[in-house]
Amino acid sequence: MSDRPPAVAAEDLTRRFGSRVAVDRVTFRVEPGESVALFGSNGAGKTTLLRILSSALRASSGAIRIDGLDYREDAVAIRRRIGVISHSSYLYGDLSALDNLEFFARLYAVPDAREAAGRMLAAMELDERADDAAKTFSRGMTQRLSIARSLIHDPRIVFLDEPFSGLDPHAAVVLRAALDRLRAEGRTLVMVTHDLPQGLAMSDRWLLMERGRLIDQGRSAGVDARDFENERFRIRRRAAPAGDTAP
Amino acid sequence: MSSSGYPDAGAGFLNTAVAVARKDLRIEWRTLESLSSMVLFALIVLVVFNFAFDLATIRELGVGKLVPGVLWTTLAFAGIVGFARSFQIESRSDAMTALLLAPVDRGALFAGKTFANLAALVTLELVVVPLSAVFFDYDLLAVAGPTAIVLALHTLGIAELGTLLGAIASRVGRGEALLATLLFPVATPLFISAVKCTAAVLDGGGLASASKWLLIAVGFDLLYLFVGLATFEYVVEE
Amino acid sequence: MDGFLRRAAIVLLPIAMVMMLAAIWMVFAYVPDERVMGPVQRIFYFHVPAAIITFFSVFVLLAGSIGYLWTRHTAWDQLSRAATEIGLLFCTIVLITGPIWAKPAWGTWWTWEARLTTTLVLWLLLAACMMVRAYADNRDLGARLASVLGIIAALDVPIIYKAVDWWRGQHPVVFKAGEKTPLEPRMLRTFLFCMATFFVFYGLLLAIRVAIVRLEDRCQALVEASSGDRA
Repeated sequence: MSDRPPAVAAEDLTRRFGSRVAVDRVTFRVEPGESVALFGSNGAGKTTLLRILSSALRASSGAIRIDGLDYREDAVAIRRRIGVISHSSYLYGDLSALDNLEFFARLYAVPDAREAAGRMLAAMELDERADDAAKTFSRGMTQRLSIARSLIHDPRIVFLDEPFSGLDPHAAVVLRAALDRLRAEGRTLVMVTHDLPQGLAMSDRWLLMERGRLIDQGRSAGVDARDFENERFRIRRRAAPAGDTAP
Repeated sequence: MSSSGYPDAGAGFLNTAVAVARKDLRIEWRTLESLSSMVLFALIVLVVFNFAFDLATIRELGVGKLVPGVLWTTLAFAGIVGFARSFQIESRSDAMTALLLAPVDRGALFAGKTFANLAALVTLELVVVPLSAVFFDYDLLAVAGPTAIVLALHTLGIAELGTLLGAIASRVGRGEALLATLLFPVATPLFISAVKCTAAVLDGGGLASASKWLLIAVGFDLLYLFVGLATFEYVVEE
Repeated sequence: MDGFLRRAAIVLLPIAMVMMLAAIWMVFAYVPDERVMGPVQRIFYFHVPAAIITFFSVFVLLAGSIGYLWTRHTAWDQLSRAATEIGLLFCTIVLITGPIWAKPAWGTWWTWEARLTTTLVLWLLLAACMMVRAYADNRDLGARLASVLGIIAALDVPIIYKAVDWWRGQHPVVFKAGEKTPLEPRMLRTFLFCMATFFVFYGLLLAIRVAIVRLEDRCQALVEASSGDRA
């Protein structure tokens, strides 16, 4: 057992919108270097949970510790070490790719911001378009630039919200390679995804949410996507209230 | 640095504010969208005022009576266009969320945006004020120094309020109309002071005769700088 | 909280009613005519307390706004909501009674006199607070934005008052007849009694409005809960 604290430790996390409970007493841990896939049907609360973990949203109750730190005391330290990849690009369309990366590098106090931005662009194979406005980029290139933005500060923990959605096959391949690299480098990944085979292939463990609750979790190794789907179906029937027969 | 050697902080207050201001100004430099809309709108308003009060009336009443009010009304309305746009750029690709995820002081975001808006307003004034001297036929050069001081002091206050209220209006999504409804009542003391000071300067009285108004302007600027730094985060979070 | 509000309302209601009736008697029967303006001056006994209550309500708004941002307890926001609305109500009373007094007294419905102007700007500020709260997408956002705006507006009020006062010149028009000379005892008593009456009335309205706001919130929560189950 390493003496490093869990990368992510959620305890009894709850989030209410009015009286609708979007996340319901979720408790789980992610060890440093682990890669976790978060599955669940639409409206299960996965994106809300991810937003709470990354501090984009406040929890109504419960506790989170990232790398052993609490948002209430060490919010800045936590934000420094996490990265978020979402389907919003978080980019300024009117700025050049280089300017975008340089800006965020400065916010994260990355030394030699402009050089670091240039190196990151090269790593993402975007350096030819460094001075072009981000809004002129294709969806795939935007995604690459967005990933570059999320990783410019070398985050130890990366939260991803359906990063593959809307990507053409080539862009998906590039993204997959980038994420494999992240895993190889020992970063912690928490990824929300609808893509079962992809998610299982890229994770060490999986979590399953339904109606805001974490209803199951397990190891990903050796799990067949189709079996998982069937089993999931059975699990969801067990979790659904009596009388609800909707698939 | 944490015990594991991993950096524990992002940019400090000043660096963050500077980075945000540079970013906003860079965007403006590339597109000139905001500045061109502001200048064009200001020109239109000036022309309309010229129809409303013709040159003979102004000469009769004296420059100090009419020009200050016309000038500041024009600047305020044109400024609103800029403030609204300042937050539009943040909402397009949800960049605001990225700013909130960054390990920086949210008050520094306010400071940076206020500075960028201030710079835009000053640029606007560099065009509009000389033009008003031409349209309304008064000698700007003779009072250039005091005018510049009055402009600087009051534009700062407008920039602060415009940024803070602009953030509120952008969260509610109603745009410029709501911003005007919020800005004018709140900025009443600043507006009165601006008109009084400008009138004093144009009438040849000099700044000394308007000293109590300058005091109100300074107090106002300081108060809302503090309020903005303290409350900006509550407006933009989530 | 709800119990306290109910008891407060039950206690204040009869007191307010009795005081109101007594105040009306005092204003229309007890107190003598003002020698310069005649009977119309009696509006002063409603107009001035309404203005003072408006400023007091702005203070309550400031407290509620700071309280909400500090603790995020809905109770503070409920207080702010009530204070905004009731403040707006009394502000409207000031703006209506002002012209009613001004026309016979000065021959004009409106004058950009310092206090009336300040009240008009205050009315706009309070209306803006209500508007922002209403336009917000969800309750929590509306509460936060309205709280920030409430703080901005409340801190602004004294500055607006001073600025408008100076704008109008060194010696504002004598609005409150009798302030420059000591008030005749009956006038002073009537004024103070009306002041007290308005405070009691304000307390009553505030208690009832907060109670209703709380009921509205509970209803809203129930509606969301029942539609949420079907999601």
